[in-house]
Amino acid sequence: MHAYRDQYAQLFNDGQDVVLIAISADPIDTLAAWARDDQFQFLMASDAGTVVAKTYGALAGRPGMTNRNLFVVGPEGKIAFRAVPFREIDPAAYTELGEAVGRSVGKRE
Amino acid sequence: MQRVLVAAALGVPLLAGPALAQQPAAEPLAVGAAAPDFTLPGATRYGVLAQPVRLSDFSGKTVVLAFFYRARSKG
Repeated sequence: MHAYRDQYAQLFNDGQDVVLIAISADPIDTLAAWARDDQFQFLMASDAGTVVAKTYGALAGRPGMTNRNLFVVGPEGKIAFRAVPFREIDPAAYTELGEAVGRSVGKRE
Repeated sequence: MQRVLVAAALGVPLLAGPALAQQPAAEPLAVGAAAPDFTLPGATRYGVLAQPVRLSDFSGKTVVLAFFYRARSKG
Protein backbone atom coordinates (compact mmCIF):
# COMPACT_ATOMS: atom_id res chain seq x y z
CA MET A 1 0.00 0.00 0.00
CA HIS A 2 2.92 2.30 0.66
CA ALA A 3 4.20 1.75 -2.86
CA TYR A 4 0.84 2.95 -4.19
CA ARG A 5 1.15 6.01 -2.00
CA ASP A 6 4.76 6.75 -2.89
CA GLN A 7 4.32 6.15 -6.63
CA TYR A 8 0.84 7.61 -6.85
CA ALA A 9 1.76 10.20 -9.48
CA GLN A 10 3.45 7.70 -11.81
CA LEU A 11 1.11 4.74 -11.29
CA PHE A 12 -2.24 6.49 -11.11
CA ASN A 13 -1.76 9.60 -13.24
CA ASP A 14 -1.68 11.55 -9.97
CA GLY A 15 -5.41 10.90 -9.60
CA GLN A 16 -6.35 12.71 -12.82
CA ASP A 17 -9.21 10.70 -14.34
CA VAL A 18 -8.06 7.77 -12.20
CA VAL A 19 -9.61 6.54 -8.94
CA LEU A 20 -7.74 4.05 -6.80
CA ILE A 21 -9.86 2.06 -4.36
CA ALA A 22 -8.01 -0.22 -1.94
CA ILE A 23 -10.34 -2.94 -0.69
CA SER A 24 -10.07 -5.42 2.16
CA ALA A 25 -12.37 -7.17 4.61
CA ASP A 26 -11.23 -4.93 7.46
CA PRO A 27 -13.84 -2.77 9.22
CA ILE A 28 -14.06 0.71 7.70
CA ASP A 29 -12.86 2.35 10.94
CA THR A 30 -9.68 0.28 10.77
CA LEU A 31 -9.09 1.31 7.17
CA ALA A 32 -9.77 4.97 7.93
CA ALA A 33 -7.31 4.93 10.81
CA TRP A 34 -4.62 3.33 8.65
CA ALA A 35 -5.21 5.84 5.84
CA ARG A 36 -4.90 8.67 8.35
CA ASP A 37 -1.78 7.33 10.06
CA ASP A 38 0.04 6.55 6.82
CA GLN A 39 -1.45 9.44 4.78
CA PHE A 40 -2.87 7.48 1.86
CA GLN A 41 -4.19 9.84 -0.81
CA PHE A 42 -6.65 7.27 -2.23
CA LEU A 43 -9.95 5.68 -1.29
CA MET A 44 -10.29 2.72 1.04
CA ALA A 45 -13.35 0.47 1.02
CA SER A 46 -14.48 -2.17 3.48
CA ASP A 47 -15.73 -5.42 1.95
CA ALA A 48 -16.39 -6.95 5.36
CA GLY A 49 -18.63 -9.68 3.95
CA THR A 50 -16.20 -10.37 1.06
CA VAL A 51 -19.21 -10.16 -1.27
CA VAL A 52 -17.43 -7.92 -3.77
CA ALA A 53 -14.24 -9.98 -3.53
CA LYS A 54 -16.27 -13.05 -4.38
CA THR A 55 -17.88 -11.33 -7.35
CA TYR A 56 -14.54 -10.22 -8.74
CA GLY A 57 -12.67 -13.38 -7.85
CA ALA A 58 -10.44 -11.97 -5.15
CA LEU A 59 -11.08 -14.29 -2.24
CA ALA A 60 -8.14 -15.60 -0.28
CA GLY A 61 -7.83 -19.23 0.65
CA ARG A 62 -8.72 -18.34 4.21
CA PRO A 63 -12.39 -17.64 4.86
CA GLY A 64 -13.36 -14.01 5.26
CA MET A 65 -10.22 -12.62 3.65
CA THR A 66 -9.44 -10.98 0.35
CA ASN A 67 -6.29 -11.71 -1.62
CA ARG A 68 -4.08 -9.30 -3.50
CA ASN A 69 -5.84 -9.30 -6.87
CA LEU A 70 -5.93 -6.03 -8.77
CA PHE A 71 -8.28 -4.94 -11.53
CA VAL A 72 -8.17 -1.87 -13.74
CA VAL A 73 -11.68 -0.87 -14.82
CA GLY A 74 -11.69 1.26 -17.95
CA PRO A 75 -13.86 4.37 -18.47
CA GLU A 76 -16.44 2.21 -20.26
CA GLY A 77 -16.80 -0.06 -17.23
CA LYS A 78 -14.94 -3.12 -18.46
CA ILE A 79 -11.92 -4.87 -17.00
CA ALA A 80 -8.98 -3.42 -18.92
CA PHE A 81 -6.18 -5.13 -17.01
CA ARG A 82 -5.78 -7.55 -14.15
CA ALA A 83 -2.96 -8.71 -11.92
CA VAL A 84 -3.95 -11.92 -10.15
CA PRO A 85 -2.25 -11.66 -7.81
CA PHE A 86 -0.50 -8.33 -7.92
CA ARG A 87 3.18 -9.14 -7.25
CA GLU A 88 3.86 -6.38 -4.77
CA ILE A 89 7.60 -7.04 -4.45
CA ASP A 90 8.26 -7.20 -8.20
CA PRO A 91 9.20 -3.84 -9.77
CA ALA A 92 7.90 -5.11 -13.13
CA ALA A 93 4.42 -5.39 -11.63
CA TYR A 94 4.38 -1.65 -11.00
CA THR A 95 5.63 -0.91 -14.50
CA GLU A 96 2.87 -3.06 -15.98
CA LEU A 97 0.26 -1.41 -13.78
CA GLY A 98 1.39 2.10 -14.66
CA GLU A 99 1.32 1.26 -18.36
CA ALA A 100 -2.14 -0.30 -18.12
CA VAL A 101 -3.53 2.73 -16.32
CA GLY A 102 -1.89 5.01 -18.87
CA ARG A 103 -3.47 3.10 -21.76
CA SER A 104 -6.86 3.24 -20.08
CA VAL A 105 -6.68 6.96 -19.43
CA GLY A 106 -5.50 7.54 -22.99
CA LYS A 107 -8.62 5.85 -24.34
CA ARG A 108 -10.85 8.46 -22.77
CA GLU A 109 -12.34 10.78 -25.35
CA MET B 1 -15.35 -27.22 22.21
CA GLN B 2 -15.49 -30.90 21.38
CA ARG B 3 -17.70 -30.18 18.42
CA VAL B 4 -15.26 -27.57 17.18
CA LEU B 5 -12.38 -30.00 17.43
CA VAL B 6 -14.31 -32.66 15.55
CA ALA B 7 -15.20 -30.18 12.85
CA ALA B 8 -11.60 -29.08 12.54
CA ALA B 9 -10.44 -32.67 12.35
CA LEU B 10 -12.88 -33.34 9.53
CA GLY B 11 -11.70 -30.28 7.67
CA VAL B 12 -15.09 -28.61 7.91
CA PRO B 13 -14.72 -24.88 7.34
CA LEU B 14 -16.02 -23.41 10.57
CA LEU B 15 -16.19 -19.82 9.40
CA ALA B 16 -17.41 -20.40 5.89
CA GLY B 17 -21.16 -20.40 5.54
CA PRO B 18 -23.14 -22.96 3.55
CA ALA B 19 -23.13 -20.70 0.50
CA LEU B 20 -19.36 -20.61 0.39
CA ALA B 21 -19.14 -24.34 0.95
CA GLN B 22 -21.45 -25.05 -2.00
CA GLN B 23 -19.90 -22.53 -4.36
CA PRO B 24 -16.20 -22.73 -5.10
CA ALA B 25 -14.35 -19.42 -5.08
CA ALA B 26 -14.95 -17.60 -8.32
CA GLU B 27 -12.20 -17.21 -10.88
CA PRO B 28 -10.87 -13.66 -11.20
CA LEU B 29 -12.83 -11.63 -13.74
CA ALA B 30 -11.25 -11.70 -17.18
CA VAL B 31 -10.04 -8.74 -19.18
CA GLY B 32 -12.95 -7.49 -21.28
CA ALA B 33 -15.60 -8.56 -18.77
CA ALA B 34 -18.04 -5.98 -17.47
CA ALA B 35 -17.02 -4.81 -14.00
CA PRO B 36 -19.94 -5.52 -11.64
CA ASP B 37 -21.16 -2.45 -9.80
CA PHE B 38 -20.86 -2.43 -6.02
CA THR B 39 -21.45 -0.19 -3.03
CA LEU B 40 -19.18 -0.38 0.02
CA PRO B 41 -18.44 1.73 3.10
CA GLY B 42 -15.56 4.03 2.20
CA ALA B 43 -12.92 6.12 3.87
CA THR B 44 -10.11 8.52 3.11
CA ARG B 45 -7.25 9.75 5.29
CA TYR B 46 -9.69 12.38 6.54
CA GLY B 47 -12.11 9.81 7.94
CA VAL B 48 -15.03 7.55 7.11
CA LEU B 49 -17.11 8.87 4.20
CA ALA B 50 -20.71 9.84 4.85
CA GLN B 51 -21.69 8.32 1.50
CA PRO B 52 -20.65 4.80 0.51
CA VAL B 53 -18.29 4.20 -2.38
CA ARG B 54 -20.13 3.12 -5.52
CA LEU B 55 -18.23 1.98 -8.60
CA SER B 56 -20.76 3.44 -11.03
CA ASP B 57 -20.23 6.89 -9.52
CA PHE B 58 -16.87 6.90 -11.30
CA SER B 59 -18.20 6.07 -14.74
CA GLY B 60 -16.01 7.71 -17.40
CA LYS B 61 -12.91 7.40 -15.24
CA THR B 62 -10.37 4.66 -14.90
CA VAL B 63 -10.86 2.86 -11.59
CA VAL B 64 -8.21 0.66 -10.03
CA LEU B 65 -9.58 -1.91 -7.60
CA ALA B 66 -6.71 -3.09 -5.43
CA PHE B 67 -7.76 -5.88 -3.11
CA PHE B 68 -5.35 -6.61 -0.27
CA TYR B 69 -5.12 -8.96 2.69
CA ARG B 70 -5.35 -6.82 5.74
CA ALA B 71 -4.79 -3.28 7.02
CA ARG B 72 -1.29 -2.50 8.23
CA SER B 73 0.20 -5.40 6.33
CA LYS B 74 2.93 -4.88 3.77
CA GLY B 75 2.25 -4.36 0.09
